[in-house]
Amino acid sequence: MPWLEIDGKPVEVPAGLNIIEAARLLNVEIPHYCYHAGLTVVGSCRMCQVEVEVGGRKSVAIACNTKAADGMKITTKSEVVHKLRRSILEFYLQHHPLDCPICDDAGECDLQNYYMEHGLHESRVALAEKKHKHKVMDVGPTVVLDSERCVLCSRCVRFCREIVGSDELGIFNHGRDNELLNVPGKQLDNDYAGNVVDLCPVGALTDKDFRFKRRVWYMKRTASVCTGCSRGCNVFVDWEVDRRYKDSVRRVQRLKPRYNRMVNEWWICDQGRYSYHSVDAPNRVSVPRVNVQGNGHVPTVDEVLTRAAARIEQTMEKHGADSIAVIGSAASSNEDLFLLNRLFVDKLKVQNVDVTFGFEKKGKEDEILKRADLAPNRRGALELKIAPSGDGQGGDDLISAAIEGEFEIVIVIRHDLSTLLSEKELAKLRKNTSYILYLASHENGLTEIADDVLPLAMWAEREATYTNFQGRVQKTNIPFTPRGLAVPEWELWQTLGAKLGMKASYESTRDVFNALGTSFDGFKDLTWDSLGAGGKMLGNAPEPAYRRVQTSRPLPAY
Amino acid sequence: MSGNGTALLISRNFAVDKMASIDVAMKNGAYEQLKRALKMKPEEVTQVVKDSGLRGHGGAGFSTGTKWGFIPKDKFPRYVTVNGDESEPGTCKDRLILERDPHLLIEGALICAYAVQAERVYVYIRGEYFYPTKVTANAVKEAYAKGFAGQNILNSGWSCSIHMHNGAGAYICGEETGLLESMEGKKGWPRLKPPFYPAAIGLWGQPTIVNNVETLAFVPRVMEIGAEKFAGMGSPKNGGTALYSLSGHVNRPGVYELPMGTPLMDLIEKFGGGIRNGKNLKAVIPGGSSSHILTAEECKDLPLDFESVAARGSMLGSAAVMVIDETVSIPKLMHWMVRFYAHESCGQCTPCREGCDWLLRLSKKFVDGTARKRDIDDMWEIADNIDGKTICALGAAVAWPTKSYLVKFRHEFEAVCKN
Repeated sequence: MPWLEIDGKPVEVPAGLNIIEAARLLNVEIPHYCYHAGLTVVGSCRMCQVEVEVGGRKSVAIACNTKAADGMKITTKSEVVHKLRRSILEFYLQHHPLDCPICDDAGECDLQNYYMEHGLHESRVALAEKKHKHKVMDVGPTVVLDSERCVLCSRCVRFCREIVGSDELGIFNHGRDNELLNVPGKQLDNDYAGNVVDLCPVGALTDKDFRFKRRVWYMKRTASVCTGCSRGCNVFVDWEVDRRYKDSVRRVQRLKPRYNRMVNEWWICDQGRYSYHSVDAPNRVSVPRVNVQGNGHVPTVDEVLTRAAARIEQTMEKHGADSIAVIGSAASSNEDLFLLNRLFVDKLKVQNVDVTFGFEKKGKEDEILKRADLAPNRRGALELKIAPSGDGQGGDDLISAAIEGEFEIVIVIRHDLSTLLSEKELAKLRKNTSYILYLASHENGLTEIADDVLPLAMWAEREATYTNFQGRVQKTNIPFTPRGLAVPEWELWQTLGAKLGMKASYESTRDVFNALGTSFDGFKDLTWDSLGAGGKMLGNAPEPAYRRVQTSRPLPAY
Repeated sequence: MSGNGTALLISRNFAVDKMASIDVAMKNGAYEQLKRALKMKPEEVTQVVKDSGLRGHGGAGFSTGTKWGFIPKDKFPRYVTVNGDESEPGTCKDRLILERDPHLLIEGALICAYAVQAERVYVYIRGEYFYPTKVTANAVKEAYAKGFAGQNILNSGWSCSIHMHNGAGAYICGEETGLLESMEGKKGWPRLKPPFYPAAIGLWGQPTIVNNVETLAFVPRVMEIGAEKFAGMGSPKNGGTALYSLSGHVNRPGVYELPMGTPLMDLIEKFGGGIRNGKNLKAVIPGGSSSHILTAEECKDLPLDFESVAARGSMLGSAAVMVIDETVSIPKLMHWMVRFYAHESCGQCTPCREGCDWLLRLSKKFVDGTARKRDIDDMWEIADNIDGKTICALGAAVAWPTKSYLVKFRHEFEAVCKN
């Protein structure tokens, strides 16, 4: 492995690393626009020029296309380098519009950042000389282009060619008339289109979903995991709750991909990216709901749980545990499923418990990130052995048995049976079941007809762990408190269990997770803190082989 | 067109009637050297070219034999690409070869292909050269018919095909990697270096020799007269002759074949017939528009070879000598030059794309008479910020002349400034 010196500090780096990446090992950031670790090197922005000394000979080279070699001496902070960066910035800014106050990228724009760091020059270009290009231009259904802001780094072009293989954007014309445009006849309309906004180092490509919604410096950022499918892409939840006058309901402002080499690298799909809307959707169930004629009093969660405990106790006495069915969900976290298991299987001896059903919606699977299984924690449910036991029924049998009226009590978690079952089946289920308890996050047909409805906290509002299809346990963090009276699922089971004689007193999600290891081998040696930012494999298994996240038919860079 | 009394190599048969037809060409010795080369070992052919000191006549002056030697040992297939994208302002020599003796080029390209064991020759000619393309394409057809190209050439067991390709009018496609991109059907954006040599990674990632038309046309002549004699013809380190494209304010502009190292003033006075209308010489651009300008003073006693011109702070480039008399306004000349490069910049990398545009706007001010004195320094600084910071040499091609005009003729710029 080559040893080199960066700004006087010696460092040993893996062979084949370029200077930008080598410098990152020393926390030295070399400015750049066109370079991105996930894309091919084109070396066109010329911003990453540094001084390279090899064998006593000093020269200027671009850091992105220079491989670290033994004995190299790199200077990233010198008069020469400073002047170079300044001159490149001046080139970039000669036609750049002065619209930072209304630009969505202001605050996270590399032109701004580098200008403050290296530029700070007076413009030598008269306003009248500035060149005009396309302004608000739809390049696709979700992304808007402002050509005047574009620095022609071609990251978005390369993303579409190399990662998605769709080739929807290109740089057209030549010389000073170069402009980023749609490839004729194509729209930026692929399942990963939103990533070009993240890639854009300036405010040229902006997300229609986020445009003019929030200034980036007001937002706070929480590391989390997308629960849109069984991939479990690592994301940042960018949120802001103080400036209600903009939008009194919207707390999550956007999701951004969070780098995880073994899961999603730098990308997320659009379905996941815009999935946060459901967190602040107007149809959230934020308070418990009791479908009995009353005086309009909104019950507390505890009141409802007391009612439910009483119903369960009565039924158990009268008809036994076999008269209870639990239609669980593989979208529940490991902690939720663990306590569900402890309460219903271990304590109440309910045999009719399952989380996998034929009616569950399947997603579109592709070779990049998207998985057909939309449940984020199916693997976790498997590991925690959530399945029918003894004579209990599972899967579709459980559902048809419920419809046929084999159970007195049906407990439904998350599944919206009103869309998954036919109208007839649903009516039959309602007629044949004396008590339906529904744990839901959103209003739907089932919340209308269930006897009791309890509000669930959603993934973005709570901490939890999910086990993705690879067997990787990953955690989410709490950005803000759940909406209304919503509670994490496991807390409901713990409180309900307490009323039914179960002994469990976990103080936090961490405690629950740390307890998993004593009962389940897969979680042995895993602790909340040991999961870190990138998660850990079940059973502390070695990492699976690295797979580059991209289509199997990438097109080369131009 | 002829250098009086000097031994002619390339242009020997330019005046022969119907030289482009293969029968006439063969009567004049065409393909004899190919036959000889095929009897030699490929390495021996490369060695002959190396020994001759033949250098690239496209502009860089790189040793041709050395370039051929860069081909990696075990990588196949290999290609030879003839760079006929002659677009440097002032240069008009390749055109003559393509029109008047295309078989010389084809023979040279085939010898090169044999020396590096390439299986295909691509002839890339600039899009505007309709007639030269037609003539050359016909010559290729004839060469196939006579068995000089195609399968099992002259029963040597070696096969090589020849393909014609036209550019679409971009100057940048004369840059060798831009040319390769263009041939691959992509936008003619020069490739990032390293890798520096197409000889290792070229067309479709395979070893490729890219040589200028004139360079390859020299190859049969090198074989004919021998490396030693060829090397002895020019000045030291500069073997053989060169086609000098003489243009500008001389009485007899044209293409002259003269030994390397011919004094510049000889070219102007003896062959070009002196400055037109008895005017005085102001300056000379010695190697195409991208070379540094030389003042009349600097032109004295200057042998036209790569090293001597470089020692004067300019370059021989494609040996396109542009003569400028005292009537020319240097600010106007600069604006003309910058306009060309601003139009031809491909726009891939920032300094060139933005810098050329900026230079164009500033240089226009000098022509319009709206320039201020600080614009002179601004222009120099902008040119300096482009110079050497770009992916290909187009950046330097605009920066060098700009800087040299500004420095050497600063008084002319100051004279047209408002304040």
